[in-house]
Parts: sequence; C-alpha cells; structure tokens
Amino acid sequence: MLSRTAEYLYWISRYMERAETTARLLDVGYRMSLFPNPSGYNNEWESVLSAAGAIDGYKNKYNTIEQRNVEDYLFFDESNPSSVYNCILNARNNALVVRTSFTPESWLAINKTYQEMLNLKEKKFTQSDLPDLTEWTIEQVNLFRGSLSSLLRNDGYNFLFLGLFIERADNSARLLDVKYFVLLPKPQYVGGNIDNMQWSILLRSLSSFRAFRWAYEGNITATKIADFLVLNNNCPRSLSFCIQNIVKHLTNLTCSPSKVERIYNNLKDLNTKIQEEKIETIVEYGLHQFVTQFIRKISSVDNEIHQEFFN
Amino acid sequence: MYQSESVIRNHYNNINDWLDQMTSKVILEKNAEAETHFRNIGITFSTNNETARERIIPFDLIPRIFTYTEWLRLERGVIQRAKALNAFLADIYNQGEIIKANIIPKEIIYKKKSFEPSMFGFSPPRDIYSPIIGIDLVRTGPNDYFVLEDNCRTPSGVSYMLENREIMMRMFPDLFHNNRVTPIDDYPTRLLQTLMSLAPIKCENSEPVCVLLTPGPLNSAYYEHSFLSDQMGIEMVESTDLFVEGKYLYMKTVDGPKRVDVVYRRIDDDFLDPLCFNPQSVIGVPGIMDVYRTGGVNICSAPGSGIADDKAIYIYVPEMIKFYLGEQPILDNVETWNCEKEQELKYVLDNINKLVVKEVDGSGGYGMLIGPKSSKSSIDEFKTKLSTNPKGYIAQPLLDLSFSPTLIKNQVEGRRVDLRPFCLIGEQAQLSSGGLTRVAMNEGSFVVNSSQGGGVKDTWVLAE
Repeated sequence: MLSRTAEYLYWISRYMERAETTARLLDVGYRMSLFPNPSGYNNEWESVLSAAGAIDGYKNKYNTIEQRNVEDYLFFDESNPSSVYNCILNARNNALVVRTSFTPESWLAINKTYQEMLNLKEKKFTQSDLPDLTEWTIEQVNLFRGSLSSLLRNDGYNFLFLGLFIERADNSARLLDVKYFVLLPKPQYVGGNIDNMQWSILLRSLSSFRAFRWAYEGNITATKIADFLVLNNNCPRSLSFCIQNIVKHLTNLTCSPSKVERIYNNLKDLNTKIQEEKIETIVEYGLHQFVTQFIRKISSVDNEIHQEFFN
Repeated sequence: MYQSESVIRNHYNNINDWLDQMTSKVILEKNAEAETHFRNIGITFSTNNETARERIIPFDLIPRIFTYTEWLRLERGVIQRAKALNAFLADIYNQGEIIKANIIPKEIIYKKKSFEPSMFGFSPPRDIYSPIIGIDLVRTGPNDYFVLEDNCRTPSGVSYMLENREIMMRMFPDLFHNNRVTPIDDYPTRLLQTLMSLAPIKCENSEPVCVLLTPGPLNSAYYEHSFLSDQMGIEMVESTDLFVEGKYLYMKTVDGPKRVDVVYRRIDDDFLDPLCFNPQSVIGVPGIMDVYRTGGVNICSAPGSGIADDKAIYIYVPEMIKFYLGEQPILDNVETWNCEKEQELKYVLDNINKLVVKEVDGSGGYGMLIGPKSSKSSIDEFKTKLSTNPKGYIAQPLLDLSFSPTLIKNQVEGRRVDLRPFCLIGEQAQLSSGGLTRVAMNEGSFVVNSSQGGGVKDTWVLAE
C-alpha cells in the first residue's frame, strides 16, 4: 500500500470521529443551555468551545459568546479547522483520493454525507435545529463506520482503525479534562447536584449514558464515572479501550514489523499501566495530571505513526 | 435514428417502442435517478470557469446504436489510423523516412512544441508510443464517417463510456434483455493487459507492476483516474509517491520502496520530470526520464506523443496510412485548410463565414469560431488573429453532424452527436465495442464539449 494511501485512510477516520465529537459537544452545550445557569459556573458555550479546542479561533472572530454563533462556528464555519463541515469536507477530499482502497459503500457514505452537508449549509438553520444537526452527524458517521465492516482485514483496515482510536483517545481524554478544569471552577461544587448533572451530560456526549447505567449500580458518582471513562475495558470510549485497540490494530499491521515494534515499545508501558491502575490511585494522583500525560503520549504515538509509515 | 423524416432505422425499432411506453413521469424519475447516481459516485468535472459546486455532465437516456456491420468498418478504420500514428511517431523520432520522402515537411514537425527532442533515437517497448488512442468521429450521412481529431496523449472519457452503460443496465435491465448489446466492461482488463505487454526491457516481473500517475484531485479527469486504477487493481500515484534511485523508479509504500515497471501517466509531458522538461514544475519525478531511456521503466504514452495529434499533423494522417501501412484510409479526414500556407489562408479569410476556425493548440471547444453562427465582431476578431498568427490556426467546413434522438424536457428531439471510441495498442490492437457519444444539448448547437454544455449518451454496438 502507498504510504500516502495509508495516511489518507488514517485521517479519514480521524476526521469522521472528530465530526462526531464536535457534534456531540454541541449537543452537550444545547442540553446545558436548557438548564438554569447557576452562578459560579462558566458559560456552557465557552466550555464547549474549550473542549473543542476552538476557543481562540472563536474569539478571533466574535466578541461575545452566543449560542447562535458558537453553533455556526462549530458546525458550519469554514475558518474553523475542526468544524463539522471541515471534518466532513476533509474526510471527503481524502476519500476521493483513496476511494479505491475501501469499499464503494464507504465512499458513498462519505460522499453522500458531503453532498447533504452542502445542502444543509445552503439552508439557514434556526437554533431549534441543533438537535437535528447533531443527530444527522452521528447517523452519517455511523453509516461510514458500518460500511467498514465489509472491508478486507488488511493494513488499510488497520490504518483506518488506528486513526479512529487515536482520535477517540484524544477526544475522550480532552472531554474528561474539560469537565474538571473548565466546567467546574469552584471546589465546593464537587459532588453537588449540578456537578452530577454535568457528569451525566458528559456521559451523554460520549454516547455512554445508558451504558454507564448498565455497568454501574447505584448513585452516579464522580469516581464511578471516571472509572468508567478511564479504565473500563467494556466502555468503547474509555481511554483504556482506546489504548487496547490502538495496540491491537498496530500489531495487526503486516507491513514493516520493525516499525511496528518501535511504536509498540513506546506504547506498551501506558497500556500496562492503564490495565493495572485503580481509579482511586488516579484520582489521588490527580486526574488532570493523568489525563495530560495520556494526551501527550497519544500525540507522540501519532507522531511516530506519521514518521514511520507516512513519510 | 431516422432514415428520413418519418422512417425509423431498423435497429432503433426496439428503442422507439421502449420510448413509447415510458410516461413523462417515469422519464423524470429516471433522469433524477441517473443524476443522483452520478453525483453519488462522484463522476463530476470542473470547467475553466470554476464554480463552488462540482458539475455533472448531463446524461441522456436514449442510447445511440450502431449495427454490427456499421461498427466493423469503424473498428477497422480506427485501428488502421492508430497503427499509422504509432508508426509515424517511431519514424520521426528515428529515421524520419516520411520527411525524406517529402510527404510531410520537416519544419512542421521539428518546430512544434509537442515534438520532444529528448526522445530522438530512443525506441519504447514494441515501438508503441501511444498505446491508448481516442479518435473523435462524426457522421454526416448514412455511411459517411469522418475523423475530426486524434487524441494520442491521454484521451479521457472512457469512464463515462463505462459508467453510462452501468447506469443504463441498472435502470433499464429489460432493454438489455431485449437487445443484443455487446458488453464493454472488459475495457479495464484489456487496458491492463495492454500496459503489461509494454513492460520495459529491464523488467524482472512476470506480471509487471503498473501504476496510474495522476496530477491529483484538482484535475478535471480525476474521477476517471481513480476509476481506472480501481478497475485495473493498480495503484493511483501522484508524483510525490514516486522517486528514482539508481536506475529504477520506485513508489513509497508502507512496506518500503516498491519498484514500478509501467507508468500509465495522465499528466502532461511538461510535468513528468523537472530535470528534463519544465524546471519550474513542482510536480514531477526528478530523474524518471533517465530511467525511462535506460529501459528501467516504461511511460505510456511516451513523452512527445503529442506531436501525432497536432492539428497541423492531422492533415497528413491519410498520407501516413498509405506510406506506413500501404493501405487506403478507411476513414476520411474532414477537409482542412492549413492557415500556415498562404493560399489556404487566403481561402479561409475569404470564406470565413462558412468555416469553423480552430486554434492548433486549443481543445475543449475553447478558442474556436463557428463562422455561420458567429457575430460580425467575433468574425473580425478572428480575422485579425488569423492574419497576425496564421500558424496558430486551421479551418474546416461546418459539418452537418448527424442527429441522435435526445430527451429534451420529456420530448424526443434531434441533437447533434459525435463519437470517441478508444483504441488500445500493445501486443495486439483492439477497439472498445462502444465509445463515448457526446451530444450538443442546445438546439441547433454544433459544440458537443462538456465544458460548453454538452451531454453524453450510452453507446451500443449490436452483436452480430
């Protein structure tokens, strides 16, 4: 397989995953905006922008933070590299190049999404349309993922999924971090009702609310949720699950075993640690520090994948 | 379709019945279905006046039909022409016999930009310079076919030929049950066989590694590039995926470098090798020409093939056929005036309102004048151009192109058509059993180019 093909496949799933995350974040903001805004909490739309890594770009463009503008910026804005529009556009442009490396269904899924996106963009939308837009995005991404199930299980498949889990690991970690450091500025609120409400919104944004209920009994507590999103191997968005899948798709690669080995060596400590760690230890050590280290590690793995395979 | 005003040619009877059965509602639905299909698969193109949204070429539901005997003659004629064009290239880049025989003056060959001096004295595998040739044909009477132009560099449109058939079979399976239409879907396989049969001398693989070299997604034929590489099961590469090391060409893969034997290039000569052609070019593979000339790789079509489809060379193709093959041309040229010659220029200037004037280097229906359809001011403009740069132009009579029934707002109306069949020459010479029929969708229009609002049709060759 051409190095460029591998790179494009990797980025197609990253973009599609990112489109979903951004859309879900918008949904979080939307839900939070329906609750009364208690004093001491930051504006929910500002949190959403921070979580999406788009706060600086937004502030360059707008003076005040308003729902209408945040929605537009995160969903349609061409100047925001992570807007759902740009993610889909980039995924589609990459897919155009490597369409022959996956199934016609996968290409169709992406191209139809792109065509519909152009139609959506031409229409003026209203605030109440936001849940529809989120739902639409999630549906489209699911269509794409579904189409991958009939792919040959070759290196192209593994690069697609490496991209997906690298992106997801990064996104989940950032969401977790944002919960603690952006949503919640005052320690006295920890464990309060509003805190729990926000945790459940976080779960929803990761499409894990119901899954959490299945996995844990009793009250929703911060520790349980952290355990669920960091360590639980059954949760498809947990950091641990993402790492395991990164390792799996990495070691399934048949090309260049020596390159695979090098990347694996860098990753295996984190993998072992996350499998053995207890959530209490992590919380004691500091969730933020843990998550920050995790994000750094994922980014270095991403760099190595680019160095070894795409150059 | 019609023999005279009201008599339908026999082989169109089935289609006529089929049309009669279709309600306008069905036609509308099928048109929409075809459009959605083309948009979804991404068979779009961009024009010189770029707009934000990609365009699709209008597709007409009514197929154009050739009988077996009609086609047989075209097939022989096109293959004959393709062979002569390759013989011409082999000759002018080596002995130059046709010049010595005073058939073609040497100035019009060696001074052309499309002539490639670096090819002099080099012979590509099997002496095939241009393995894929698209010949544009027009019909002006029951058996009067003329060659409008030859395309020896990188003719495009074959993906439309294949996709038009695909959508027709999908939407109207009954049509294909009731008509014996020769299949065309083996074209990509034949193309791959042709490329593999042209492996360079130093190739060590029993199955040569072929790649398709594309300029990238911004090229208007990009869909075709990815379609063909997919159908052939070969890599579609951009020049940054290739590099030269030692005497060979490699592509960068996740397993490391992989040697390439045959490059089916869909980029222009100028962008092949910055060391050899255009030093300003940021695309291209430095050193590929050295590898080519030392037999490490084959480039199809060969650099410098473009001279064979130059509009000034076109005039001499019938002579080439006689000279190289010792045969009479089966397909005629359109009468052409070479404005470079003083007398012919005078004729053109005197009769310009009856003629079509074309730029020698123009394509895509741009830069041409259709005398009988043009305003006085544009005629005057062309007269000035002709007088200042006569070399840059040729002129032809306005041909009365044949009409083909075409659905216009649910009504069947006649529209002018041309045809581009695709000829492959490698170990053997063969013609696709069909081609790209382009149709001028505007009433009275003579221009079939997609950039000028032309459409396409499925093209049938009936089995014997």
